[in-house]
Amino acid sequence: MRKKINFGFSMVILIVAAALIFPCHAMAAGEIKIGVIYPLTGGAAAAGRELKAGAELAAEIANSVMPDIDMTMAKKAGIQSLGGARIKLIFKDHEGNPTLGADLAKKLILDDKVDGILGCYFSSVTKTVSAVAEQYGIPMINGSSTSPGLTERGLKWFWRTTPHDKWFTKDLFELLKGLKEGKVKGVPAVPAGDLKSIASACEKTEWGSHVSGLIKDLAREYGYTVKKSLLYAAKSADLSSEVRSLKAARPDIMLFASYTSDAILMAKTMKAQKITAKIIWGQDAGFEKPEFRKTLGKDIEGILTRTVFLPKVVDLKPLAGQVNKLYKAKTGNDLGGASARAFTGLQTWVHILEKAGSTKPEDIQKVANAIEIPGKELVVPWAGIKFANPGNEMGQNILGSGLIGQYQVGPDGKIGLEIVYPFDVASANMIYPFKGY
Amino acid sequence: MEILLSSLAAGLLIGMALALVALGLTIIFGVMDIVNFAHGEFLMIGMYTGLFTAQATGLDPLFTLPVAALVGFLLGGVCYYGFIRFLIRGPMVAQLLGTFGLMLFLRNLALLIFGSEDRALHHGLLVGRSIDVGMGVIIPATKLAAAVLAIFSFWAVWMLMNRTHVGKALTATALNPQGARYMGIPTEKMNALAWGIGGATVTIAGALLVNFWSVNPFVGLLFTMIAFTIVALGGFGSVRGAFFAALVVGLIMEFPGFWDFFSYTFDIQWMYDIPMTSFKYTWVYLAYFIIMVARPRGLFGWKH
Repeated sequence: MRKKINFGFSMVILIVAAALIFPCHAMAAGEIKIGVIYPLTGGAAAAGRELKAGAELAAEIANSVMPDIDMTMAKKAGIQSLGGARIKLIFKDHEGNPTLGADLAKKLILDDKVDGILGCYFSSVTKTVSAVAEQYGIPMINGSSTSPGLTERGLKWFWRTTPHDKWFTKDLFELLKGLKEGKVKGVPAVPAGDLKSIASACEKTEWGSHVSGLIKDLAREYGYTVKKSLLYAAKSADLSSEVRSLKAARPDIMLFASYTSDAILMAKTMKAQKITAKIIWGQDAGFEKPEFRKTLGKDIEGILTRTVFLPKVVDLKPLAGQVNKLYKAKTGNDLGGASARAFTGLQTWVHILEKAGSTKPEDIQKVANAIEIPGKELVVPWAGIKFANPGNEMGQNILGSGLIGQYQVGPDGKIGLEIVYPFDVASANMIYPFKGY
Repeated sequence: MEILLSSLAAGLLIGMALALVALGLTIIFGVMDIVNFAHGEFLMIGMYTGLFTAQATGLDPLFTLPVAALVGFLLGGVCYYGFIRFLIRGPMVAQLLGTFGLMLFLRNLALLIFGSEDRALHHGLLVGRSIDVGMGVIIPATKLAAAVLAIFSFWAVWMLMNRTHVGKALTATALNPQGARYMGIPTEKMNALAWGIGGATVTIAGALLVNFWSVNPFVGLLFTMIAFTIVALGGFGSVRGAFFAALVVGLIMEFPGFWDFFSYTFDIQWMYDIPMTSFKYTWVYLAYFIIMVARPRGLFGWKH
């Protein structure tokens, strides 16, 4: 009963506030509040810390003058079109819980009166939070959730800067195409007959089975035969019959979507079974985690994984290097996939606000639908940011792209990821074919 | 052909390791007519013991077997004297529920102590090595070692049961506890010994398995089910039966491999598309069901 009264009361407050806010907004130039919802505790707390630091750094750059950084938002302090208003981030912790995420979003909108939302890393939480944002008509930008379904719901208040799993899987097929056309650095054109068949093993929760479906669809589109397409229980204790089944299919290409412990077990079992395939590729997740590299060491040389940001980008993009230096001074770590995308998410907010010159949701919506941020402004190696609107994937950035990295032993004798795709930013010669065990 | 051979080899190797898993279950049942639902949890404890001993001492996991055996023996003994001794006075249902409770207790204790994440061995003399025996058959060294040591342990237990006075006393206790007691056999001690041996064999099996199988507090149930199938197929209480039944179950677990063999040999398209590995344990349970319906006393069973 009490809850009901409180809810009713807060609705009244909201209506009154809404009536008051609109005329006030243009005058209140001091601060722009962005609610940021990330997993700051729980299993993904490490990723949450990275995300938070990435968003904070973007806000610091936007709020102060940093002439050494070659991006527009570093040149002036605050949002110029709003009289130098500063960005204020209000962080909330969703703990990986979609219901909690939705509650926090309501709090941010009703109590903190945020002008917009950024988050939430977990696709499941992004889903519920974006529904709340849609309900209240508050704009939300998502920087790092990759489930394709998020932008297929026709939401009017939701924009996603990161590419999603469909794009990442497509990147792989583009890499294969490039191999045959001789576009890959350090590899002469591969005869078309050498790469024909695919076998895949994906974990069977929503993400893995979705990737498995994508692989089948894209294989058909690009003219490959899928000889085997396995789904296995995540957190498996033994994958030997799966690996033998993959081996029996004698594929040219092996594809995986696995979480950390499965990816390690899979690679170990493949080594024990002396797998021979020309290409072994993992869909991010387990294959990109530091544990994967630390546990398996040089056994993974030649394995490919998709990713969004690698330390190597710093060598190719001076801007990424400048931001990385600040990030390292702040946290002690290099920029990673999570932090770079959180940075880009908030940067997109800054660009939109600058162009809108207003914090009215309608103005922001209008600008977001039309905005174009060139790639040279970004730390991530994308062509830029431009949202699809209208279309099947409303709110999806259509200029993003993924990276494909390959584990190689560097000159220091340590194993690390080198960029092999996109071809124009390749940081090393690709090892092809996979040398086997 | 190589698919068939490697599946056969893999099935037989895992079968030998599974035989050791099931041995303890069949001994305890044979001697005391008690079905130990916590058997898989004993195995889980054996796996953790092997893992932590190897990590703490820096020894190869294969050398941790004596520690695992000791832990298992003590665990079996403690369970008997502290718990089972009181249970067997009650009706059959109480015994079933009692060991079921023991299972839940051990599992949650492990969860409390070790946490829920998977742990696996990544370093060791044999970890990651494999032997190419030709004909396209590649045998992981850890599995080969596990199979060989399992056979050795099996042989040792068989000798103990059949060639020593203690073994005879155990058998006597199994056949007729009251008669054995009249003959001066300390049946209480024999029961405890059965639990000790049962515990030790299964923890040894755990320490062998952890070389190639990752461990978490929930790993036990799978092995309990497999061990039940083996014991049912071999005949409750039969040591020899458990061994051969385990080989059969090992081969059943390799069903996806045989499926692949058929589909590639005869090039049957629809067979390719069925993800048979997703059902690899289904066949084991199906076999259990069929045995229970068709031949409840198993292949070598001598108990009712």
